[in-house]
Amino acid sequence: MVATALPTRRTEAWKYSDLARALPGVTLPTPTDAARIIEALAGRVVHIDVAPGENVVSVDRFSANAMEARAFTAHVKAGATLTRVVVQTASDGVPLGAIRVRLDAGATFRQFIYEEGARLARFETEVSVEGEGAHVELNGVYLVDNGRHADLTSQIIHAHPGGETRQLIKGVARKGGRGVFQGKILVAPHAQRTDARQNHHALLLEDGAEVFAKPELEIHADDVQCAHGNTVGGLDADALFYMRQRGLPEPQARALLIEAFLGEAVSAALPEELRAEIMQRIGSWLGESQ
Amino acid sequence: MLAIDNLHVTVDGADILKGLTLAVPAGEVHAIMGPNGAGKSTLSYALTGREGYEASKGSVMLDGVDLLIMSPEARAAKGVFLSFQYPLEIPGVPTMTFLKAALNAQAKARGDADVSATEILKRVRARAQELRISPEMLKRPLNVGFSGGEKKRMEILQMMVLQPRLAILDETDSGLDIDALRIVADGVNALRSPDRAMLVITHYQRLLDYIAPDKVHVLVAGRIVDTGGPELALALEKDGYDKYLAAA
Repeated sequence: MVATALPTRRTEAWKYSDLARALPGVTLPTPTDAARIIEALAGRVVHIDVAPGENVVSVDRFSANAMEARAFTAHVKAGATLTRVVVQTASDGVPLGAIRVRLDAGATFRQFIYEEGARLARFETEVSVEGEGAHVELNGVYLVDNGRHADLTSQIIHAHPGGETRQLIKGVARKGGRGVFQGKILVAPHAQRTDARQNHHALLLEDGAEVFAKPELEIHADDVQCAHGNTVGGLDADALFYMRQRGLPEPQARALLIEAFLGEAVSAALPEELRAEIMQRIGSWLGESQ
Repeated sequence: MLAIDNLHVTVDGADILKGLTLAVPAGEVHAIMGPNGAGKSTLSYALTGREGYEASKGSVMLDGVDLLIMSPEARAAKGVFLSFQYPLEIPGVPTMTFLKAALNAQAKARGDADVSATEILKRVRARAQELRISPEMLKRPLNVGFSGGEKKRMEILQMMVLQPRLAILDETDSGLDIDALRIVADGVNALRSPDRAMLVITHYQRLLDYIAPDKVHVLVAGRIVDTGGPELALALEKDGYDKYLAAA
């Protein structure tokens, strides 16, 4: 579909995130494919080149109460590593991010997205494994409360053999918050020995919280290991009672359980100060929205 | 110290406890024995305030204070501890972190000062050694991936560290081999004290070979139907619950 109007929920790729509604009156400068909306709104695409063997860390912060659209392409060459961290916090903006990554042989792309949601927040990640034995680690957490919308959309294309994907997304939603996970992994016919795991787990903390999940595995090769798991549920009432029986007040017991739940998706491979910052943000989000 | 009077509890619309009356003085260990479905676990949940196990009638007093109107955490701070029949796994929360949080939450509720991290570490390590729990296990998330026996030892460790006024042990012997049973029983016996009452809930007499009770109560169909000394447990082992079930 090519249009100059912003996508609504009638557009398949945006079916859970109504961009036209979040940005009333905004149109695109040129007719645009639904998969390239964020690039068009960003106006320019920044390219990141990671030379063979290099190790690059990029941190991208979204904290304005306005539309912020940023688009990147990256080419991670043989044996190189690109680590990308996205931190999105402000409540009243429309933060939009897109990155399209090409991985050469033995290259690694590691990403962690921290998303508190906004009027509409969406981060798109597309990774194409174009050399043998490349590694992809896509982790993320979203925490949404009243009036906030957080969307994590990704597509990983294994076009070469021996690649590995580890994707773990965790989310929590309170009343009036909405989380969206759309994740596709595609394994091409000749991408044998691909090992791909996709997991998305969300907790609905109150009635009136919403999470939409669309996990997709499309496998055209026969010698692969692929698995995915997707759950949406409430906090474990038995575990809560157990903790309260030991003397933990209910809010503290809930916070500990939620923090532990989300913590599993906060990559251990992140630089220490970033990991500490993320855990601290999770802690204060849980403290504030109680 | 613990006085349960005419306790009625309905679970999911079924009357489970139907007028249970029981008193445990400080310093004593009482056993509650009964067949499956008699209401043993319901009693442990009613005493600790689990949702869905509220009393419809009767009273439970601990040291003269009404437990039934208190939240589970308030009862814990008052000194009520339950060793669970099936201890829960708490993913992502290291055992040591959990113990520290529990100890300090109880201290805070009682208006006591926080216990320092080093003091807690010292206390936990010493007890863990007695129970043959490795320091490695203390770093792992509580009960996650632990065997049945390890989980039960972890319950006793928590009991030792929290030093409750009233300890309720629900089927603590289930899933334990003879060595683990001995370790657990030694731990429980070490906690016997003039300031503490214990309620040992069990289906079998086996555990009572190691933890000698002062009194044995027979729970059948939601009521205490007989009370005696340790010899009552032996008689039950021999004759079963048939004569009580026939009368119920």
